[in-house]
Amino acid sequence: MHIVKQLMAIPGVIAAGEYAYRGDRFSYQGALTDEFARMASILCRANTLSVNMQAEILDSFSESCGCRPVQGWIVRGAQVTVCAVGNYFSFIENRDDLLNDVMTIMRAKVGDVQDDLLVNLYARLGGNTKEALY
Amino acid sequence: MKGEDKMDLQKMMDLPGALAAFTYADKGDLQSHVLREGTELTPQVLDLLARSCVANLAIAGMEARGWEALTGQSGFQPIKGFSVVGLEWSVVVNGNCGVVVRNRDADYEATFDALQA
Repeated sequence: MHIVKQLMAIPGVIAAGEYAYRGDRFSYQGALTDEFARMASILCRANTLSVNMQAEILDSFSESCGCRPVQGWIVRGAQVTVCAVGNYFSFIENRDDLLNDVMTIMRAKVGDVQDDLLVNLYARLGGNTKEALY
Repeated sequence: MKGEDKMDLQKMMDLPGALAAFTYADKGDLQSHVLREGTELTPQVLDLLARSCVANLAIAGMEARGWEALTGQSGFQPIKGFSVVGLEWSVVVNGNCGVVVRNRDADYEATFDALQA
């Protein structure tokens, strides 16, 4: 079953979606409008880019410190939590055990994010992005 | 490290998979920390991590505020914590305290809850 559909089958998941690393496409299911899903995709892509940049800095101080490549991030709100793993995101209610279940499913279904993530995220900048990054 | 701080951090180290616990000032300066023996994390990495966590919490707060204002949806504010999930471990932070937990043992809910207390 597709990961977004699987996430949406869980009670308490408000919305889930997928965005392209390049930032040019997105898809979603749940309680979002097209415009809100577009905004969520931009927000998730920007945060993913940011935490990956931070992980690169951390890694330069301690080789193989265990943070790279970043797999995702979580923002815990008062009643809603936003989870992002790879290029998937979900908005979930703060219910008992839901966050752990959603993270387990997202990590298992997305699999380990590989080292080429930043190259893909930067792909629209053009030029030799690999050389610029490493 | 003050005795009270040390006791709180030791309590954080009882969380599933905890590798390190730390406190930091509002601007991200590492104030106190406890590291699990054998971990590759260093105080220098924790100091950088604390600074990035302060930045991430601030950005998440701004995004939550903007999201609620633009969409009319509620439930995002106030931010109760932020976590970055790395390849082997995750850092979970809230307020001026953070915990690094091994991914395979991580209980995100328990860790966020512990950081609320």
